[in-house]
Amino acid sequence: MVSELSHRERALASLNDEKVDRLSTYPIACGVCRRLVGDGKMTYREWANDPVKFASAFKAGQDRFGLDFSIGLMDLSVMAGDLGANVRMDEQNTPFVDVHLQNTAENYENLEVPDITKGRTATLIAGTELLAKQLKDQVVTSAFVEGPLLALTQTFGAENVMMDLFTDPAPIHKALETLTEYDRQIVDGLSHTGVDAICWDYLWGNYSCLGDEEYGEFEGDRYAPLLNKYTVDSGMANTVHSCADLPHLDKQIKEFKPSLFSLAYYPLIEGSPSPKETIEAGYADECLIAGVIDPQMFIKNTAEEVTVATRDLCHEVKTALCERGLNSRYTIATGCEVPPTQTCRLENIDAMVEAVRTYGGIEY
Amino acid sequence: MSNITILDNLSSSIQRFNKKDAVVYSNEALGAGIDPLIAINEGLVKGMNIVGEKFKAHKVYLPQVLVAASALYAGLDVLLPHIPQSELENSKKAVVAVVHGDVHDIGKNILKTLLTAGGFLVTDLGKDVPKDTIVDKVAETNADVLCLSTLMTTTMEGIGNVVGGISEANYRENLTITIGGPPTSEEYAKIIGADHRDNNAQDAVEWLKSRNFDRRDNDRDLNDRANFRAVA
Repeated sequence: MVSELSHRERALASLNDEKVDRLSTYPIACGVCRRLVGDGKMTYREWANDPVKFASAFKAGQDRFGLDFSIGLMDLSVMAGDLGANVRMDEQNTPFVDVHLQNTAENYENLEVPDITKGRTATLIAGTELLAKQLKDQVVTSAFVEGPLLALTQTFGAENVMMDLFTDPAPIHKALETLTEYDRQIVDGLSHTGVDAICWDYLWGNYSCLGDEEYGEFEGDRYAPLLNKYTVDSGMANTVHSCADLPHLDKQIKEFKPSLFSLAYYPLIEGSPSPKETIEAGYADECLIAGVIDPQMFIKNTAEEVTVATRDLCHEVKTALCERGLNSRYTIATGCEVPPTQTCRLENIDAMVEAVRTYGGIEY
Repeated sequence: MSNITILDNLSSSIQRFNKKDAVVYSNEALGAGIDPLIAINEGLVKGMNIVGEKFKAHKVYLPQVLVAASALYAGLDVLLPHIPQSELENSKKAVVAVVHGDVHDIGKNILKTLLTAGGFLVTDLGKDVPKDTIVDKVAETNADVLCLSTLMTTTMEGIGNVVGGISEANYRENLTITIGGPPTSEEYAKIIGADHRDNNAQDAVEWLKSRNFDRRDNDRDLNDRANFRAVA
């Protein structure tokens, strides 16, 4: 039996598949934690535009929930907004792009890297730095950055980009080169923040949208590997998140070789791998796998039901890890972000974390 | 060129994701005196159905399906004006929308395409659509089917709100409601009072085509109809 570890010790041990006192845990609770700051009335708009407020939410979340990781996800419209797309900022909803740039070849080819010392990119970097300073001694910290193909679809519209990459790929590649440079500059900016890792959102690497050939050409073989390597060369761990169904696990885990891969589970979709199947297939041999509590449970279900789901996941994961000869390569996480809405039940996050404490213990 | 060859070329143009050819062969079909409904059914729709099956089987992917859909609509733009309005009257009417707060509409657009290919008269309300807009359009079009989707967990509640709004407007009884999107589930469909939930557009359309729409037409099998129209 391993004696009780600190959050950071447990997270680091899990990343290295060392023996742990219990499974590590990280519900992807980001924007929702703004409700824990001050009088609880901070709007999403305020949170996503102020680095101090951004970081304060993660600190408050850590104080309340006691997590093992902290991942600085803001939203998926940061880069698109700074590239010129219009971002709609509702008071209590995740910001999103409501007016894309026009998808002409000229616009793709003339896309320019924005000044990362301005706009919400700067907010994200500065907020991540504060997050790292406040929490680095407690947990493993990570920035959250959109991969180039995701940033492109957010900027020009997914449907437009998906058709254009088939009918006229050259301008798309030109744009992706620009966005890869944009991402590279963000890596540079983050490398000075003290954050432990970058979590890349390579959303489009999934078989519901792109096959091996298409994903390889437009991200998996040409752009993502550059950023993965640059992240590591810049002194940070490389991690990947994909909440899509049917992710390209061989590409994104076995080839990208991240330290952590965060994924969702869609039991109704044929081929979506369960935690047991993910471990049995050898993916936890390669890196720490994070998943897969259903984020809907934080709105729809009771705390008791979250406890049961988390307990069952802990049992499934511990059994599969044991059968695979692994120690700790699975963190009990949510498959996607905990809904940051007002209707999200904070007590359900408490229940999930407490259930991991109760049922995640491992005896070797 | 024989009529069969023209129809094969029409189908092939969709399967090859070739918008230009879809237009060329649609015009050839008209020039050869082929009934535009037959050109749609035996040409464009036949090709789109094959693409849809391949998509479901992960043999083709999103870019190809979207371009095939674009080719389908290009062909329909040529052929539909030559179909007398009276022949469209028996079409079942569907309203499709992504609910308020969500702008992810690719899945909805694929559904719209396959519904159109399946013979439904589709009103596409687009994305980020307020509840009242959807309820009003269902009433205005006297819709038989309402298809709602969302990609995000955060906006999933919007589907339930729309279904509630439909009930409040006393239109639920005559309406088949199907929902979709990764965060949805069959359980959720039951909870909110929807009729159906599916994983993909192809299956959803097959399910709808298998339904009897009692209100107007008990005996009619939608598969036998040949009326097509997409209303953007």
